[in-house]
Amino acid sequence: MQFFKTPNIDFIGKRRKFYFLSLVLFLAGMASIFLHKGIQYGIDFKGGTSLVVRFEKPVTIGQIRDALSGVGLGGSEIKRFGAESEFIIYSSQQGAMNAADAADLVDEALNSQFPDNRHERLQVDTVGPKIGQELRKKAFMAVFFALVLMLVYISIRFEWVFAVGAVSALFHDVLITLGFFSIMGFELSLKEIAAFLTLVGYSLNDTIVVYDRIRENLKVFRNDELSVVMNKSINQTLNRTVNTGLTTLLAVAALYLLGGEVVRGFAFIMLFGILIGTYSSIFVAAPIVVEWQARHGGRQELRMGKKHKSL
Amino acid sequence: MRGKFLAKNLLILALLVWSGISLWPTYKMQSMEPDVRARMESEGKLKKITGKAIRLGLDLQGGIYLVYEVDMPSLAEKNAGNRDSRFEELFQKVKEEAAKGDESFIPVLGRVFQEAGIPLHRYWGSRDDSDEKILREMEKESRDALDRAMEKLRNRIDQFGVSEPSIQKIRGNRILIELPGLSNVQQAKDQIGKTALLEFRLLKDPQVYGDVLDRIDKAVAREKGILSADTAASAEQMAVKPKTSQDTVLSVNELFGETDETPAPAATGDSIIVDQNIFQKNPFYALFRNARMQGREVAASVNNIRAIEQILAKPEIQKLIPSDAEFLWSSETFKIGDEDFRELFLVKSEAELTGDHLTDARVTIGSDVKNAGQPVVSFAMDRKGGRDFARITGANLRKRLAIVLDGRIVSAPVINDRIPNGRGVIEGVGKMDEANWLAICLRIGALPANLTIMEERSVGPTLGQDSINRGKTAAIVGTLLVILFMAVYYRLSGLIANIALLLNVFFLLAVLVQFGFTLTMPGIAGIVLTIGMAVDANVLVFERIREELRTGKTVRASIEAGYSRAFSAIIDSNITTLLTAFVLYQFGTGAVKGFAVTLSIGIVVNMFTSLFVTRVIFEHITSRRTLTRLSI
Repeated sequence: MQFFKTPNIDFIGKRRKFYFLSLVLFLAGMASIFLHKGIQYGIDFKGGTSLVVRFEKPVTIGQIRDALSGVGLGGSEIKRFGAESEFIIYSSQQGAMNAADAADLVDEALNSQFPDNRHERLQVDTVGPKIGQELRKKAFMAVFFALVLMLVYISIRFEWVFAVGAVSALFHDVLITLGFFSIMGFELSLKEIAAFLTLVGYSLNDTIVVYDRIRENLKVFRNDELSVVMNKSINQTLNRTVNTGLTTLLAVAALYLLGGEVVRGFAFIMLFGILIGTYSSIFVAAPIVVEWQARHGGRQELRMGKKHKSL
Repeated sequence: MRGKFLAKNLLILALLVWSGISLWPTYKMQSMEPDVRARMESEGKLKKITGKAIRLGLDLQGGIYLVYEVDMPSLAEKNAGNRDSRFEELFQKVKEEAAKGDESFIPVLGRVFQEAGIPLHRYWGSRDDSDEKILREMEKESRDALDRAMEKLRNRIDQFGVSEPSIQKIRGNRILIELPGLSNVQQAKDQIGKTALLEFRLLKDPQVYGDVLDRIDKAVAREKGILSADTAASAEQMAVKPKTSQDTVLSVNELFGETDETPAPAATGDSIIVDQNIFQKNPFYALFRNARMQGREVAASVNNIRAIEQILAKPEIQKLIPSDAEFLWSSETFKIGDEDFRELFLVKSEAELTGDHLTDARVTIGSDVKNAGQPVVSFAMDRKGGRDFARITGANLRKRLAIVLDGRIVSAPVINDRIPNGRGVIEGVGKMDEANWLAICLRIGALPANLTIMEERSVGPTLGQDSINRGKTAAIVGTLLVILFMAVYYRLSGLIANIALLLNVFFLLAVLVQFGFTLTMPGIAGIVLTIGMAVDANVLVFERIREELRTGKTVRASIEAGYSRAFSAIIDSNITTLLTAFVLYQFGTGAVKGFAVTLSIGIVVNMFTSLFVTRVIFEHITSRRTLTRLSI
């Protein structure tokens, strides 16, 4: 079986259309981030107390809010947590940093409001303001160092034009995924940062395979136009790119659908990220190199120069 | 050639056996029925298996995660002398800035005082000390406090027997405690978190104490409306149940002639027991009992404590209490009739000495005439503590020195002699168990500073089990989907890749167990991701083989070329993922670290299974006979 039998698609020629598609996706996400929902930070980053409770019988968010208003926690955020009778209650109250107190208060309020519908605390998280701040910093550092490491790695392994392309594809993937993460209304916590970093690795992984082939073909087809070599390379690796994306997608989809609420946001980033990462390694990463090269010099420069290790 | 082939087979076989042995306890654990597990636990056999099974993170097995920090502000405040209003003002500023900003407390303190042009030696250290030296001392003290806190927390946690607790010092003078299997945070925190502060404080003169009580009593009698609305109201609903013939139970309303209809929280239902005979004249005294018969002083029924505290907290009453003194209750209760009482003491607010100078305390049986056969508590102090103690005891002979633990008085022995060398004995400590309690308070209560909770997470056992089940399902379904796809798409070669995939997961889990890594929910996600990416290398190789076949090469040559030419792309792409995993491990916290671990082990194992193992299998197939077609 084979999805594409000796494909010969002119990806480079059609690149503008895909730029446009990418732009639309990008703008949709940014609109959500800056104009609409923004990025919802989870407990790790904003601090406060969050409580996940499971009731025996279904209740509504309104009923919970009523119960909490009685103890002065009416301003809490209340969201459904997966199943119909599971909720996450978030309170930013962090005055005396008395974590368990807020949780106990909620407990009491819920017990008196629903005397014959018992609830169970599934999870309680309290993050002090200082820790929240530190975790934000940590997350930032992690993203920063991951990006720097990637840049260093790519610039060692590839001609710098390729580095430009790979980094563009990387930002393309991460930013669009971040946008859709916002559209879907998931919360950003440490776990999700981890997912984004994995996406960074994955996005490059995919791009690198295509570049690897381009590099190889540039040596073989010395007299062809750059865009021809590019097309040839993308087509040759097309089955691989799609298949790898697909198998990973299958596994991550299982995680997204069956893994439960704890990893939902995390799995979403992987799921969407792999989709967009696969897309970008075909439609964005290589065309950008062509674009750049068309403006800044011929294909001559792209030959594997002496300073680069050959394979 | 033959020998090399055999060696490869043996290597794979050995790894299989090794993994099987590694994973057997985990399999047994996971498949065990709950009642079997309970039985084994009671027989003490379970630990043998759990010790070898995969270690589950707190998010999977349920448990509590706490991060404590030494409460530097109160430590510094406690150590400060000559405190004036300027100090209070600056210190407040320091606290606020430290809580807000990125900087930690001690540097902020140095900066704020310097900006205000006030040398630190005005409040800390000795006169000639430079700011730097004092700040250094403070840093040292905070580290020291942390070390002691560690010891003590370990001590306490050991006492309540959680299996495999973890107590670690982490960056920023913090302590991280992980208590797997516990779910009641409040209880755990009460037992470990509420870190005790042990102090020695002088009791105020009995004369002064009496005067203060008199004054309060008169004030209460004068202004019966002194209690606020909520106090009155909460008392209104108190149970009416006379205890003895002389006592009458009445509400605080009645006591102070005030009513207010604000409904009271139901939780505050104490009753107030008042001696009717003295109630009219001395409404405040009426809340107390004379407990001289029991060898004690002023005491109050535990039911009255709330009301008394509320009266004492009133600003009008606070003014009547000397500014260098405060009221404290005894830590233990005693009985009069069938009711519990606590003693009330008036002690100096400033501690003479704190418990951090104590080095040891234990119960011994008195040997001299006076205490023959009676338990006594002997204690020892460090040099500085001994010196101070000699001075304190020398200057306050015949006075009572209270041992205060967490603001409650454990004991208030009379100073009989000057204690010169830091070694003293507390006599008359009651029965053996009371003596033991006192010694424990002295010993493990000797923590110089409070700890504040910075972060607290708990996962109930239900969610943990739920996560395991869901994670398992997702992993199995994911694996099946990938396997199905590979088998359909690449047929026989796909099956070979599938064998590699299963081995990949198998080896990955075995490595996790053998090296003692912890499996977390993100860790499971990492495994699922590994499953998805595991076949990547094989996809690369297979696609390459197909291309080679198309050029007309023989099967064996195509396989050869496919593996070698796909190699660079495989290495490149795996290195990027490894790099991100590395960064994640550096910056991640517990659960995220688990993800980084499974992901990176998964990748390394994957290189082995998808390149080496599949290659060996191909060699098996092609070595027997020369294939003209390859199922790929």
